[in-house]
Amino acid sequence: MTALPHPSIQKRMWHDAPVFTGLALFIALTAIPLLAAAMIDPRSFLGAPIWQKPLQFHLALSVYIVTLAFFARFLPHSMITSRRWRIYAGVVAFCIIAELVWVGGAATYGIASHFNTDDPVMGTIYGFMGAFAVILTSASLVMGIAIWRNPATGLSPAMHLAIALGLILTFVLTVIAAGTMSSMPGHHVGIPVTGARVPIVGWSREVGDLRVAHFLATHALHVVPLAGFTGSRPLVWAAAAGFTALTTGVFVLGLMGQPLI
Amino acid sequence: MPPDALFQIANPLAMLGWVALIFAPFAPRIADWTAFVVIPILMSVAYSALILAYWSGATGGYSSLPDVMALFTDPHIALAGWVHYLAFDLMIGAWATRKAREAGIPHLLVLPHLVLIFLFGPAGFLTYYAMHLAFHLSAKAKGATA
Repeated sequence: MTALPHPSIQKRMWHDAPVFTGLALFIALTAIPLLAAAMIDPRSFLGAPIWQKPLQFHLALSVYIVTLAFFARFLPHSMITSRRWRIYAGVVAFCIIAELVWVGGAATYGIASHFNTDDPVMGTIYGFMGAFAVILTSASLVMGIAIWRNPATGLSPAMHLAIALGLILTFVLTVIAAGTMSSMPGHHVGIPVTGARVPIVGWSREVGDLRVAHFLATHALHVVPLAGFTGSRPLVWAAAAGFTALTTGVFVLGLMGQPLI
Repeated sequence: MPPDALFQIANPLAMLGWVALIFAPFAPRIADWTAFVVIPILMSVAYSALILAYWSGATGGYSSLPDVMALFTDPHIALAGWVHYLAFDLMIGAWATRKAREAGIPHLLVLPHLVLIFLFGPAGFLTYYAMHLAFHLSAKAKGATA
């Protein structure tokens, strides 16, 4: 799927975050049978190939968790060796696996996962999955705060701030964007939806699509840390504010029923 | 992909594994890897894909014999079942080959059991185990008299 990081980086990740690193690998490998299923399955769901969504979830959660595993090196040593953290990491891993089983299971049976409120069982599961999604996203908040407070990260002040801010913003923005989206009947705002989409991500090119804001929000932990390379804390703050404004703008655009492209 | 086309790929793939097992004494590690790891993994991917894609559309289930028979009326599910046989029989063949090597049983004596496992999996598993037990007891008796 993606190129593996340098062996020494891999070694650090296994050492600092064995659960997240192992889970990232597991999620990436279990995408292989889904990819094979996508090649032979003629079914579609809401106009998209049926395995597109599970594959996107495997890819997205794998990238998310491997990023957390990488940033785990900036956590205090006493934290990553603590029992409390190990239990929490296990809970996060459980939530991630539950989300993937749910999305993949729904695809197997050709039914909706998110926004499925017609069926009482699936409706109940949808509620649980919302809570699980918040828990798995909280890992970025917990790590962001812990890195923020850690005086011994070995990072430059600007990079230290950028990584902590990026992680915290991922949680805050994602919960706002995804939380609002889940309280609506679907991810599209507006009609008509005839099927014009952005390739791979599948965003609508005709109506508002709240998944764009969710995507940006969740990638704060990738984008904001880049501002750390400027070496300037004010610039990091400015970049974080700018990224928040961009995500908010895209979110409002979606709510107004406007496609991004 | 039509099930027939996949069937046409799966059979020669399994044969490749069996050929590796037949010539196992010349390249034991290659035989082990091919017949116990690589080919079973490829077939497991194919099996999983078939089940993920076609299970929900099939009739029948696991709870009664007529249900199981109904499952096999779906070509994709029947193909998945066949791939399951191919993969797991091959793994048993690889297991027997390795087990015999570890116990010092001549490979020539394993070959008839491999044929039987290939054609009628569990029957070959039984005959191999019987032979293995015979060798084991004989070796033990030798050890006791020496």
